[in-house]
Amino acid sequence: MELIKKTNFDFLGKRKWAYLFSLTVILAGIITFAIRGKSNFGVDFVGGDMLRIGTKAPSSVVHVRQAVSRLNLSEIVVQEVGSTHDQFIIKSPPNTAMKIAALLTEEFGPDFVEVKGRSEVSPSMSVSLRNRALMAFFIGLFGMLIYITIRFEFHFATCATLAIFHDLLFVVGVMVMLGYVIDTQIIAALLTIAGVSINDTIVIFDRIRESMRKTRSSNYIELFNQAINETLSRTILTGITTIIMVLLLFFLGGESLRGFSLALCIGFVVGTYSSIFVATSLLVDWQRKGSYKLRL
Amino acid sequence: MRRNSGWKILLIIAIVGASIWQIHPLEKKIRRGLDLQGGIHVVLEVEKPKSTDKSISDVTDRALEIIRNRVDGLGVSEPIIQKEGTNHIIVDLPGISDPQRAIEIIGKTALLEFRLVRNEATLSESALVGYELLSTWSKDERGVSRESSPLLVKKTPEMTGSSLVDAYVAYDSSGFPEVNIVLNKEGAEIFSQVTSENIGKRLAIVLDGVIKSAPSIRSRIPDGRAQITGQFTMDEARELALVLRAGALPAKAEIIYQEVVGPTLGREYIQKVLRASIYGAIVVVVFMMIYYLAFGMLANIALAINILILLAVTSVIKGVMTLPGIAGIVLTCGLAVDANILIFERIREELRAGKSPLAAVEAGYHRAWSAIIDSNITTGISGIILFLLGEGSIKGFGLTLTIGMVANLFTAVFVTKAIVDFILSSRKIEHLRI
Repeated sequence: MELIKKTNFDFLGKRKWAYLFSLTVILAGIITFAIRGKSNFGVDFVGGDMLRIGTKAPSSVVHVRQAVSRLNLSEIVVQEVGSTHDQFIIKSPPNTAMKIAALLTEEFGPDFVEVKGRSEVSPSMSVSLRNRALMAFFIGLFGMLIYITIRFEFHFATCATLAIFHDLLFVVGVMVMLGYVIDTQIIAALLTIAGVSINDTIVIFDRIRESMRKTRSSNYIELFNQAINETLSRTILTGITTIIMVLLLFFLGGESLRGFSLALCIGFVVGTYSSIFVATSLLVDWQRKGSYKLRL
Repeated sequence: MRRNSGWKILLIIAIVGASIWQIHPLEKKIRRGLDLQGGIHVVLEVEKPKSTDKSISDVTDRALEIIRNRVDGLGVSEPIIQKEGTNHIIVDLPGISDPQRAIEIIGKTALLEFRLVRNEATLSESALVGYELLSTWSKDERGVSRESSPLLVKKTPEMTGSSLVDAYVAYDSSGFPEVNIVLNKEGAEIFSQVTSENIGKRLAIVLDGVIKSAPSIRSRIPDGRAQITGQFTMDEARELALVLRAGALPAKAEIIYQEVVGPTLGREYIQKVLRASIYGAIVVVVFMMIYYLAFGMLANIALAINILILLAVTSVIKGVMTLPGIAGIVLTCGLAVDANILIFERIREELRAGKSPLAAVEAGYHRAWSAIIDSNITTGISGIILFLLGEGSIKGFGLTLTIGMVANLFTAVFVTKAIVDFILSSRKIEHLRI
């Protein structure tokens, strides 16, 4: 069986539209992120308490909030998880989770509400967790940058790294707009997305490297477009198989994993898109602007 | 190209066999993380008492010993208690039923007491007033703590850890290890009196309500320097000295991070993730077979071997399977399938260019190799760094990813190539269907 025959699309000709699309989504994401502020994050990264509760029958955020209002705590955030209306996250100031849990059991009765999980993170710990996660992430990116510079060259490496940034900003933006909280689950998804994104980019760059060595042509747009087309069948097939896996995780993985699998879904599509429309496109524009000769 | 690649096939079979042996039965060989089985994860920050000139790292070691003592008393299977950095202690208690009590017990300040043991054989009701039964804990041959031989001890202690200055291991005149203790001035006075009045009785050393040792008082000890002798092994003596030192300097340990995962959440994760993964695997396997025929089968074998190796290595290095770890497996599988798609698409391309089947296969592998190695190494680099620098779940993800990359390079290129060579060398192929 062969779905994709030889193609000859002018991908790079559409890159201006792609830039516009990417920038719009990322900008919208940044604005939403700025408006929501601290509530974007799970307690791991800002400190405080978090309760995760499940109810026997569907309930609502309003209902849960009402039940805990007796404590008169100003900074309580109640969020619904998933779409079955029986899973909630309650974020509150330090050392209040136990009180809230007790109050909920009292209001709803112990048979109705179940505490599924609880985290209490001190502010100092959350700062250390956040810094270490960021440090690990940036040093990891730097390691990739160096390796790609050695195996390809610096412009390729920079554009590949920018594509990863693009994907993460894109996914975080969309997740935040959909009302999800950036917690360790989402962080795991983001790391996975970075891995898939760099993989896609390298496959295209590898083909560019091969044909540049063969032809010595300096018509980069044509060369890059050709490389994208030549690897297109692989791009789509790999895309199909990975998306199938993640879609199944999304539909069968349960409510608790929905944020995680949704982030992966968006990320895998965006990762494939960005290898063409961010990494390769930026490389073309950068080359044109500075009229470098790319040496491989 | 005809070459004998039988040894490669044998090597692959050996690796597969060893992996299966290593991970069977799966639920016993790979530990599930707290997120997948419920339990508590606590990080404590140890504060250095002002009254000491000991380093913070040393104080943390002592606090860790105290926590270990308490956790042993909880009877949790497979607890993890480890020091992180100089002043953090991580405690993981999987599958615990009463998390709140456990957290309270772990978080309280240590109490070391010296209490008199009552050793009359028959006791009347009234004689029991002011006494209580306390257990001793000992490790059995498998290293599991078990409760044994309770002793009747006085409720009010004769002395607490604050009277203790130091405790260390030395050797007695016949070469057996003994534990020496040094008391401060106040402690020495109390000890002198207690020992003179109770010669022949036993004095229990009690840490947080657990008897660690109960030596007999042989004579009056006037100078605040005592030796505890017995049939100690070196390890036992060392442990007792450590307990005494730890109790002498009760450091305050504050809980700065706690995470409680209910057992239902973990069960839900496991069941649903497992179901989704099985369906996902079936769809991908069928897809590859329809799309690439025999080669698709090959890719599926490679994928299965990849997962086997990944699980086996995780089991060998005693890794823990967490949710982010599963994300790492998903990514590894994606990249494993991708590597084969890269190769097969390349073979098709070479066939279209008019190459003979054998030449097309050789060229396909040869040319896809650079893309596979570059993408895997790049992902591997970030995996290693996330493992080395990350914390908790990020570390687990990095570990899975790193192992996955190595397994990937092995299966995607070596395994499938060996099988293809083996099959192609055994017959003459005129036409290749892929």
